[in-house]
Amino acid sequence: MSASPSPPAIRVDAEVRANQEEGAENRRLRLGVPGWPGSAPGQFAMLSPGSRGAAERYDPLLPRPMAVYRTVPEAGGAELEILYKLSGRGTRLLADARPGATVRVVGPLGVGFPLPQLGQRALLVGGGTGIASLYELAAAAQARGPVVVLLGARSAADLMGRADFVALGVDLRVATEDGSEGTPGRVTELLETALAAPDAGGEIVYACGPTPMMRRAAEIAARRECRCLVSLENRMACGFGVCLGCAVPRTEGGFALVCRDGPVLDAGSVRWEEAS
Amino acid sequence: MTVAVDTEVNLGGITLRNPVLTASGTFGYGSEFAPFFALDRIGGIVAKSLTLEPRSGNLPPRIAETPAGMLNAIGLENVGVDAFLAEKLPLLPEGLPVLASVFETDIDRYAEVCKRLSGAPKLAGLEINASCPHVKSGGIEFGQRVELLARLVRETRRASSLPLFIKLSPNVTDIREMARACEAEGADGISLINTLQALDVDLATRRPALRNGLGGLSGPAIRPVALRMVWQASQAVKIPVCGIGGIMTGEDAVKFLVCGATAVQVGTANYLNPMAAVEVADGIERYAAAHGFARVSELVGTLRPYASSR
Repeated sequence: MSASPSPPAIRVDAEVRANQEEGAENRRLRLGVPGWPGSAPGQFAMLSPGSRGAAERYDPLLPRPMAVYRTVPEAGGAELEILYKLSGRGTRLLADARPGATVRVVGPLGVGFPLPQLGQRALLVGGGTGIASLYELAAAAQARGPVVVLLGARSAADLMGRADFVALGVDLRVATEDGSEGTPGRVTELLETALAAPDAGGEIVYACGPTPMMRRAAEIAARRECRCLVSLENRMACGFGVCLGCAVPRTEGGFALVCRDGPVLDAGSVRWEEAS
Repeated sequence: MTVAVDTEVNLGGITLRNPVLTASGTFGYGSEFAPFFALDRIGGIVAKSLTLEPRSGNLPPRIAETPAGMLNAIGLENVGVDAFLAEKLPLLPEGLPVLASVFETDIDRYAEVCKRLSGAPKLAGLEINASCPHVKSGGIEFGQRVELLARLVRETRRASSLPLFIKLSPNVTDIREMARACEAEGADGISLINTLQALDVDLATRRPALRNGLGGLSGPAIRPVALRMVWQASQAVKIPVCGIGGIMTGEDAVKFLVCGATAVQVGTANYLNPMAAVEVADGIERYAAAHGFARVSELVGTLRPYASSR
């Protein structure tokens, strides 16, 4: 099954409803987005780097691509939840946005995840902020078969969205590099264990996180002959296929655009050694 | 304010419904913006630069954000002239002026691309991107050496009877000399400025921020430099000037008109705001109405010098 077709993107000023801490360096932004046409699991939006104040500001200049973590349809639009990490000037300015402030949104953008086949077990691997791409997928995949979510972070304080996945009722397994929660080590080791289980075979693997993590997940999945999809997080200026800044080299030659051909790509189609 | 403003301008023989075009490389082949606004609300489109054959461009990273600007080194990625004519041009609405941008590594190839584009029924004109490194001259840009630029204009002029615009590199000592060479060789107009050659560093790795090393700087950071060059060039030639460089709003665009540009191109702004070009067009009209100009074209070249003090 391929990803569902996407409605055309809109550009709209959204209202900040909440912007809360979610662990040490992470935030959860809730936006009221008028006219949001809905989005498929794995799609993203471009958010202005901080709120749009009394006057137009051009430094930082570019919007930031953010996974749509969760959407709740409402009259005349939707509420969007975005989970993000404070990683630079843009996200720090975004973290300053208070309820009532305006954030510009362009979306929904990109091609999301193809869903598992009926009855197929899905393994979702999220590292760090990568988990933000996987919540809606987990919810949609649950309607088709068993779902295992593997969450990884440096430490317990960096984990995002944990309670939401617990509430979904998926099989949730956690790994932290410092061992402060769950299994000590990397999330890809959880994947290796899950795929080595005696009842394993025929799974579909979805991975989103740092490039080395996705590359490793892709290798593990390939060894078990499982299809693996990754959601890439490249730098981009526009989000809709014109700046060509987010190009990622393909194994077959040439480039895929993360914004237009992705962000979800077949792991085997990415030339990982040149991907960042 | 209810005064109707006539926004139409004539750019080197091309009638534009308003003076706002989109800059090459920032607007794809046009159809990418169809979800955001009706394309015929702007004056026209300069499409992504074309080469003779399709090109796939540079390895990442290709872009980097800089103060009020960005660097890019995409590396000629494009579908090639034949695919543009067969697949991209037909998608654009009738009546929308489209200029094709041409980018090559030697003059014969530039001329060949121009020849192939010349028969296209929908094409309003050509814009020659003179910022490409000239391979036979050790990589110097065509637009950086006046005799090379003159030869490029002469040969592309000979290759096509379409309105011909030359997009000038700002990486020169005297832009007026370059503008005059274009005029002397028969160009119908000049577009400026292209990106400024620039460099940024990734301190985590101490590598250049871009895989290519050097890149082109664009965005609001370059606007005053662009205004200066547009003003200088428009003083030096009689052919029309199309002003480019960090235009984000109608007011920004009006400054270019005042400094002598007949029309403008909106570039980097399209990335952060897919409706930027329409908003710039509306903003120009509002300024004209508020300041009593019945025609937008009356704003062109109205920079008022201070009276001499002695």
